[in-house]
Amino acid sequence: MATVTLTKVGKLYEGASGATVRAVEAVDLAIADGEFCVLVGPSGCGKSTTLRMIAGLEEISEGTLEIDGRRVNDLPAKDRDIAFVFQNYALYPHLTVAENIAFGLETRRAHRSAVVAALSGAGAARREESTRIQARVAEVSRTLGLDPLLARHPRELSGGQRQRVAVGRAIARDPKVFLFDEPLSNLDARLRIETRTELRMLHRRLKATIVYVTHDQEEAMTLADRLVVMHRGRVQQNASAQECYERPANRFVAGFIGTPPMNLVDGSAANGVFTANGAALAVPASIGTRPCALGFRPDRVRIVARGAAGSIAATIAAVERLGDRTDIALDSPWGRLVARVDADAARDAHEGDAVGFAFDAAHSHFFEPGECGARIVQG
Amino acid sequence: MKRSPLASAILWLVLIMGTAAFVFPLWWMAVVSLETPDRAEAAITGSAGIALFPPSPQLGNYADAVRETGSVPWWGFVDALANSVVVTVLVVLGTAVSSSAVGYALARLRFRGSRPVFLLMLGTMMLPGQVTMIPLFLLFRQFGWIDSILPLVVPAFFGNAFFIFMYRQFIAQIPESLVEAARVDGLGHVAIWWRIVLPLCRPVTAICAVFTFIGTWNDFLGPLIYLHSDESATLAVALNGFKNQYGGLEDVHLLMALSVLTMIPCIVLFIAAQKTFVEGLARGAVKG
Repeated sequence: MATVTLTKVGKLYEGASGATVRAVEAVDLAIADGEFCVLVGPSGCGKSTTLRMIAGLEEISEGTLEIDGRRVNDLPAKDRDIAFVFQNYALYPHLTVAENIAFGLETRRAHRSAVVAALSGAGAARREESTRIQARVAEVSRTLGLDPLLARHPRELSGGQRQRVAVGRAIARDPKVFLFDEPLSNLDARLRIETRTELRMLHRRLKATIVYVTHDQEEAMTLADRLVVMHRGRVQQNASAQECYERPANRFVAGFIGTPPMNLVDGSAANGVFTANGAALAVPASIGTRPCALGFRPDRVRIVARGAAGSIAATIAAVERLGDRTDIALDSPWGRLVARVDADAARDAHEGDAVGFAFDAAHSHFFEPGECGARIVQG
Repeated sequence: MKRSPLASAILWLVLIMGTAAFVFPLWWMAVVSLETPDRAEAAITGSAGIALFPPSPQLGNYADAVRETGSVPWWGFVDALANSVVVTVLVVLGTAVSSSAVGYALARLRFRGSRPVFLLMLGTMMLPGQVTMIPLFLLFRQFGWIDSILPLVVPAFFGNAFFIFMYRQFIAQIPESLVEAARVDGLGHVAIWWRIVLPLCRPVTAICAVFTFIGTWNDFLGPLIYLHSDESATLAVALNGFKNQYGGLEDVHLLMALSVLTMIPCIVLFIAAQKTFVEGLARGAVKG
């Protein structure tokens, strides 16, 4: 197992019009030994490109990449001792499951076998190696429950089984670093959640260093020891999932992490009052006097009677009942907001109801104006 | 969908007529190959009607034909057969190996000028073979390759534009991630081509092999131009030996018998490969 360190890593592409496109910009990242690091962000944010640069499938345009303290920028993929799990699994269609799992081991043997054969009676060494590979395949397939599938071809497997084989192929090689590129996105919702749990357990057992890419923030939060939120080729926040949720570093992270997303309102604060579009509510005075964006999580919103003190008038636009809780979409002077309330509290809520809303000012967030406006530290 | 009896009848009729049109010349060739010399002569010159069955099949014609091939009894045939087999096998191997390798390079490697190279290669398909015949002959004569199989075999190892095109199109559809997975697994380009791409290209290889086989096995002009001596002749050229020096036919029954023998490998191969064609098309190439 190993550490992975990125220092000012960037990726430049030659665009279609000949212009240079910067897909990834100055990424600094230090992934510890055995850490589960998840790169998350909307599509086109540079997370996959970053992962592919770590793998050696893309050239690194700027900066340095180190695995275990050794600079590997110019090392080909095969010499970096990494395993890559692809979104579409990339199983070799003409090989059986067992052959797929053994493939990486066999090719590595092939590299050595020429030398071994030249030096010694190659037969015995080869046989020994074959037995070792077979034992390894058996061990991996037992771990992942692939035993009954070993003789089948990938086309005879379900999506979930293929995914397992892809993971098995990665494990078999016992690499320094595992790289996952959206491995669950081709599975249906239920299987995705099951596999997510299994991956987490597998990580605990293997104590492996994992870099994992996904666009699904929920998947990212459940898996990550370290969450790296990316947007427009840059790292927006690099912290634990809880930290990203509780103290988003900027407005983008605030809106991206959490379901339903945080309510964000552009306006201005003055003397302990936040005003937007003529409607005002009290906020901590420490924020000062400035234009800013106010953010508050849906579960911090309270639905109150129209006209109640310290509330803003709103109309219920939609009610989504999820069983134990209910999401209520509100049309207000602050735009479309979402409130997440207890199912019991929302039993009488109906679309079109005239209500008011208030929020927990102690749990509000403030950001500089703009798409990626930085968090304003209160106090 | 169920067809009405009338529609079925019409369909069958059309199919039977089409089949008859294609099968008749072959059938007739087989019939003449079994006739006596006189009746065969008469059938060819049109002085007798066309018989659908030989009245007294002369199976001995086949032995005679094999004996009469070339200048040395029996061995002339063996020589020609061996030459045909060697040339054909080498050409099929060379074409499949080189065309798939070039196809892989054109589909998967990004290099300066790959597009012009591809277009230029496609352009060569427009050239009729007759145009390059004389320059090629002069070139091979410079090499001292005349009356050897080299002029027939060596060019095959430099690819065939049509099959390169077929391979390229097929390989371009193989998901990039498969190639990347192989790279991570430690394979270089040659190994990726040999161990991953070529096995996936089986349907293309089947088509390439069958068409190249038939084309080479039946090729008359190439061997006629480059192979001058009796011992180096292929079967197709040996067949020509049954014509006399004025271009007229003698021993038509023997010519037909040897023609039937020559055709057998092509028919067998085609039937055998048919399954792979259909399988390749039905499986939707490499999806999944």
